[in-house]
Amino acid sequence: MNPVIQLTVERGQHLTTAEMFMNAGIVILVVFGVLLLMYILISISGKIIQAITSIGSKKEKKAEPTPAAAPAAPAAAAPVSGEEFSSGALKLKNCDEKTAAMIMAIVADDTGIPLNELVFKSIKLVEKK
Amino acid sequence: MLEVLKNLWETSGFAQFFLDPDGWKSGIMILIAFALLYMAIKKQFEPLLLLPIAFGMLLTNLPWPGGGIFHPEWFEGDINWAALGGQYHDAAGNHIDPGLFDFLYIGVKMDIFPCLIFMAVGAMTDFGPLISRPSSFFMGAGAQFGISFAFVVACLLGFDPQGAASIGIIGGADGPTAIYLTSKLAPELLGAIAIAAYSYMALIPMIQPPVMKLLTTKKMRQVKMEQTRPVSKTEKICFPIIVTVVCVLILPSVAPLLGCLMLGNLFRESGVTDRLSDTAQNAMCNIVTIMLGTSVGATAVGARFLKLETIMIIGIGLAAFIFATVGGLIIGDIMYFLSKGKINPLIGAAGVSAVPMAARVASKVGQKENPSNFLLMHAMGPNVAGVIGSAVAAGILLTLFG
Repeated sequence: MNPVIQLTVERGQHLTTAEMFMNAGIVILVVFGVLLLMYILISISGKIIQAITSIGSKKEKKAEPTPAAAPAAPAAAAPVSGEEFSSGALKLKNCDEKTAAMIMAIVADDTGIPLNELVFKSIKLVEKK
Repeated sequence: MLEVLKNLWETSGFAQFFLDPDGWKSGIMILIAFALLYMAIKKQFEPLLLLPIAFGMLLTNLPWPGGGIFHPEWFEGDINWAALGGQYHDAAGNHIDPGLFDFLYIGVKMDIFPCLIFMAVGAMTDFGPLISRPSSFFMGAGAQFGISFAFVVACLLGFDPQGAASIGIIGGADGPTAIYLTSKLAPELLGAIAIAAYSYMALIPMIQPPVMKLLTTKKMRQVKMEQTRPVSKTEKICFPIIVTVVCVLILPSVAPLLGCLMLGNLFRESGVTDRLSDTAQNAMCNIVTIMLGTSVGATAVGARFLKLETIMIIGIGLAAFIFATVGGLIIGDIMYFLSKGKINPLIGAAGVSAVPMAARVASKVGQKENPSNFLLMHAMGPNVAGVIGSAVAAGILLTLFG
C-alpha cells in the first residue's frame, strides 16, 4: 500500500465531515488525474504509431518498381493503382449502382465502421411475395 | 400417531419458517427472489446475472437440514478454512457440514470471479472508439462523480468509511468492480451491494433518460457527430499494455482487476490468441457468471439482509447512479461547448460503465430527437472509459481504506 496517502481508518471508525469531503475529493481528483494521463499517453502513442505507419507505407510505395511500359499505356496506370485498395468484386442483382452506393453508406453510418473497412459481397433486390 | 405427525412437522422446512426466530425473514427473501426471477425472465432485466443471483437467493433462504447451503459467518474477516474442511460445530455442539455455496464463495472472497469476469469483458470490448477519440476519457472520469457523492452520503448516514466506499462504488455501475471492492472492504454488505448494482444496471433505460433530458437542450441532443478516424491494429495492441503499465504503477491495488481486463483485451486484439479470446468471451464467461451470480445471491441470507441498512444501500445506490449520470453529462456539456457543438453531450451519460447498456441508452435518446443520428459507436468511447475509471476509483478507495 502507498504509505503517502494511506489514512489507516479502522473498521467501525467514523470520519469527520471534513475528512469525508476530503476523501471524496481525492477519489474524483485521482480518477481525473489518471485518466488525463491516459488521454495524453494514448493521444501521443496514436500520433507516433500513425507517423510510423505513414513513413512505412511511403517507403513501400517508393520501393515498388515503376512499370516499364508506362509511356506506351498511360491511361492504364490509374485503374491499376485503384485495384490495390479493392475489397473484391461486388455483385449487384436487380440493383442500380446509385442505390447500392446509398445502401453501403447507410450500413457504414449505422454500424460506425468506415466504408473502406467494410466488405460487401453482393446486394440484391428482395421482392415481397 | 400425533407424535409422529408432530415430529414430521417439526423436521419439515415449513416449520423452520415459524420455529426459527429469523424464519419469517427467510420467507420474505424467498418472495424477493421470486420477484427478481420474474424481472429476469419476464422483463428480461439483465437475465444472465439476475437469474442466477435470484436463484442463489432462493436456495440460501430455504431451510436446509444440517445447517444450510451457505454460512456467511465463515467468511467474516479471514476465511474459516477449518469449517470448510468439515471441522465446525455450532454452540449446541452439532456438527455443521459446509454447503455448496461455501465452496463457490471462495472464488468471490479471493477475487477470482470478479477478475475472470473482467477478463471476459476485456475480450468482448473494442476500445477502438476510445482510442480514436481519447477525450472520451474525461466523460468516463466525470461519471465517477456518483461514487464520491454516494460515499459522502453513506458516511453522513452513519456507515463507516469502508462500508461507505463499498456503497459508493455502486455509482461506478460496474458489477465486478463493486463485488471486488466490497468483498475486500465490507464483505457483510456484499449481497445488498451486488443486488443493488446489478438491479440499477438493468434499470438504466429508466433511470438515465429523464436526467439526460434535464441536463441537455433539444439542440444539443440533436447533434450528429462526425465519424472518428480508423484505428490501426498496432494502436489496439498497444492500448491494453499502456493502460496496464500506467494504472498499475499508480495504483497497484487495482492490478488484478485492471490487469485481467487488459489481458482479455490483448487476447482479442493480438490476433494470435483467437482460441483464448473465444474461451474468455464465451465458455469461461458463462461458467464464471453462473458461479458468481449464484454465490452472490446466496449471500442474501434473510437474517442478515433484511435490515434498515439494506434499504439505505438501495436508496444511496440509486442516488449514486443518478449523480454518476449527472457527472458524465456535465462533462459532455462542457465538451459540447469546447468543441463548438460537434460533440453530442448525451454520450457523456454513457461514462457510467454498464457496457453496453449505457451506450445504447445514449444512442436511443439521441435517435429519438433526430432519427438519422447514430451515436452508439461514439458513446462506446466514454462507456469503456467508464470501466477503466471505475476500476481506478476502486483502486483509490482500496488504497485509502483497505
